[in-house]
Amino acid sequence: MTEKVHAYILMDIELGMTDEVVKALRLIDEATSVAVTTGGYDIVVLLETTNLEELYDITVNKIHKIPGIRDTQTAVVEKIITV
Amino acid sequence: MSSRSQRPVSRRSASTLFYSLALGSGIMRTLSVFFDDFALRTSSLAPLAYGFLSQWVSFIVTISAVVILSLKHTKGGKKRALGYSLDPDFARLRLLPKTPMVYIFLAGFFAGISTLVYYILIGASDAATVLPYGQLVIIYLLIADLLAEKDTPTIIEVQSIISILFGVLLVGATPSGFDIFTLLMVLGPLNISSALVTYYQRKTKRYELLPGLRVDSLNMRVWSLLVLNLVMSGLALPFLQESVWQSMIIGFFPLVGYMIGSSLATFFSIIMYVRALGRGKMAVVNSLSSISVVLGVPITAIGSLLLPGIFGILDPSAFIWSLKLFGIILVLIGVVALEASDIRSIVLIKVKPMTGDLLPALFDIKGVEKAAALAGNHDYLLSIKSRNLTKTRSLILKKIQKIEGISDVETIVVIKEYS
Repeated sequence: MTEKVHAYILMDIELGMTDEVVKALRLIDEATSVAVTTGGYDIVVLLETTNLEELYDITVNKIHKIPGIRDTQTAVVEKIITV
Repeated sequence: MSSRSQRPVSRRSASTLFYSLALGSGIMRTLSVFFDDFALRTSSLAPLAYGFLSQWVSFIVTISAVVILSLKHTKGGKKRALGYSLDPDFARLRLLPKTPMVYIFLAGFFAGISTLVYYILIGASDAATVLPYGQLVIIYLLIADLLAEKDTPTIIEVQSIISILFGVLLVGATPSGFDIFTLLMVLGPLNISSALVTYYQRKTKRYELLPGLRVDSLNMRVWSLLVLNLVMSGLALPFLQESVWQSMIIGFFPLVGYMIGSSLATFFSIIMYVRALGRGKMAVVNSLSSISVVLGVPITAIGSLLLPGIFGILDPSAFIWSLKLFGIILVLIGVVALEASDIRSIVLIKVKPMTGDLLPALFDIKGVEKAAALAGNHDYLLSIKSRNLTKTRSLILKKIQKIEGISDVETIVVIKEYS
């Protein structure tokens, strides 16, 4: 199996739309974790895709079309270490 | 094995899932213990002989269940094994790679020793008094967590675990005493091997076969149970005389229903326990699953009211029942306190130009569970877990800021997480 591409999507959400956005994000199969946060961003999503093209497809055709998302920042993971 | 990318995010939050798995494991364990207890009380079979038969029935039931759970079905356009709903890492019954197999062998080996000691003890006349002291294994695990985790337990964790521990001991209180030999057997071989089983189960469950794909708890159960049975049977053979074999042949068929019931309950209990171990600390998982000792009280009381004598003669002393009630309250306070105090944060880091690789240094900081090097506006992302925000700041953020080359640190606190 080939290496996966992981990416964090950091999101700004419109006021009062967090629950709806979370509900929509949880329907995306490639989203392995959805965290509602306080601070500089409102939601952080971890995506796991097979390649960069699929990552592009998910961000542009799925995430950017969810009503309530004001702004996103995509950070592709180059290396990851977990406990 | 199912690829992680085929998995949707869980419908329940990460912490709800963790506590449900650990508590669910305790509930299923209660059921399993009552099947065993009822079977032993209704037959004249020696506990060790019952254990020998029951463990091999359990293996047949487990492997049959995992074969059935390996069957594929299509749901929502995805072809998945039936066992996917029990553990999303599961795809089919299979042999695992060498390293997790070694861990499974060690877990099974120590489980074989603890199971043998358990059946020898329940054959002893006063074992019912002493067996709750087996919960002292939580203390062993707390020490093991200190060694295994990159995090030190907080005062809330220690306080909650001690509250659960004393609660469990009070729930198991009886007016009769216990002999020192039996207590030493519990504190020595039983608890040490139980702690080692948990340690190796956790190591196996956290082993990544591929990035994001861990060993599944169903295959873990099959192979560790096989090793357990071989070790336990090997050690038990000298104790099984010819008359015992004859009683096993006679006693097997009337008890096979209870054995299957106990095996299925144990199967689900272990699956949930191992999955919880993949998500949290060993001492916390064990503390939560020790709810089985508390649940034993109402089940014993209701069972004895419906079928008098089913669980032996209940002690009518108000003093003992007051102690048990205090025990239940202590366990519940401990569980609620643990659940209420768990804070996860994400730290976004930017570094100055010409800075080298900081990923290992960042990951080495206590409390950092995940460290990722990023391409984009931020250079690193850390996922950290602590019991309170003060600890996040004093123990983690200050250390991050001290690392040479970091220009900016942004912390965002996770309110709710689905994974």
